[in-house]
Amino acid sequence: MNSPLFEAFLAKIYVDAKARTKFLSDPSGEAERAGLSPEEGQALQNIDWVGLKLASRSFEKKRLRHARGRFRLPYPFGRK
Amino acid sequence: MDRFGIGWRPELAAGILCNLQDIDVVEVIAEDYLSVPRAKLRALRTLSKQVPIVLHGVSLGMASAVPVETKRLDRIARLIETLKPEGWSEHLAFVRGGGYEIGHLAAPPRTAATIEGAAKNFASARRIIGASPAVENIASLIDPPGSRYDEPAWISEILSLSGTELLLDLHNVYTNAVNFGFDPFDFLARIPWNRVTAIHIAGGEWIASDSSPAIPRMLDDHLHDVPVPVYDLLRAAGARAGRPLTVILERDGLYPPIQELLAQLRAARNALAEGRALQPRQQGVA
Repeated sequence: MNSPLFEAFLAKIYVDAKARTKFLSDPSGEAERAGLSPEEGQALQNIDWVGLKLASRSFEKKRLRHARGRFRLPYPFGRK
Repeated sequence: MDRFGIGWRPELAAGILCNLQDIDVVEVIAEDYLSVPRAKLRALRTLSKQVPIVLHGVSLGMASAVPVETKRLDRIARLIETLKPEGWSEHLAFVRGGGYEIGHLAAPPRTAATIEGAAKNFASARRIIGASPAVENIASLIDPPGSRYDEPAWISEILSLSGTELLLDLHNVYTNAVNFGFDPFDFLARIPWNRVTAIHIAGGEWIASDSSPAIPRMLDDHLHDVPVPVYDLLRAAGARAGRPLTVILERDGLYPPIQELLAQLRAARNALAEGRALQPRQQGVA
């Protein structure tokens, strides 16, 4: 399993709502287009769907909170 | 000797300073002080002369197959050099990938690659900062995809390979247990207690998505009181821990009067002491 690429894919679907929607409509296709292995594609096919929705919502709230200046973090959140 | 403290937050500062007789240590979020005027750092140094402080990082992303950037470790190193805390800690999490900042602690795939990546990142921290952080288990709303290890096995492997100590967050254990259906006491039975030096306690709430209202998950939001199951886990920790523990109460909002937080600290003292009392006499250290 190519973890850096897999982690990058997870970060993308956690952060980017459009990417998440595309992934949810075609998990294996999106995994393949991202260059992930069949094993990684299978892992994503079996993803915890309920958790993905709740976690991505929670992460978004955190980013908004940070962006409002509640916490000082070294870099702005969202896509660099 | 076990110690008990609270996370340092501006909203709690007055209450903490007025009650130092009941607070043994305070935990400071490192990222809150990476880009602040010198006056604020001086204020924190003044605080450290009144009560021991420990530093807690949230943004390095140590549990990743991707190396932590040196510049991030350098900034933590400078802060540690300035504040000279008793110690520092970070999370077993990844927080970014492929140019995306997740904005919070995310559970990485529990694989051999993230075990090795974490060990390399802790080695880098040791080289640049001079000391490895104690590492904290995180709470998650999503069962990390692609995992090959369960959480206690994954954590134990990282501790074994990296030689780091464990900051055991009991609310995170409880949260993952209720979210993913495992026994939190079995989790406690499977971690290396000779590595546990600190404990976090906190509270959270149940949430659900609109599309799956019947499948709630526990969110570790630090906005609620410490629930009874966490005190039960703290009692169990006291029965197992061989080393003195530093127990920190985390609260990040919806702040109650400080006396309510101090009451939760007292309850934690009692729970840990009750657990300690269950140990055979020769193992007791409290």
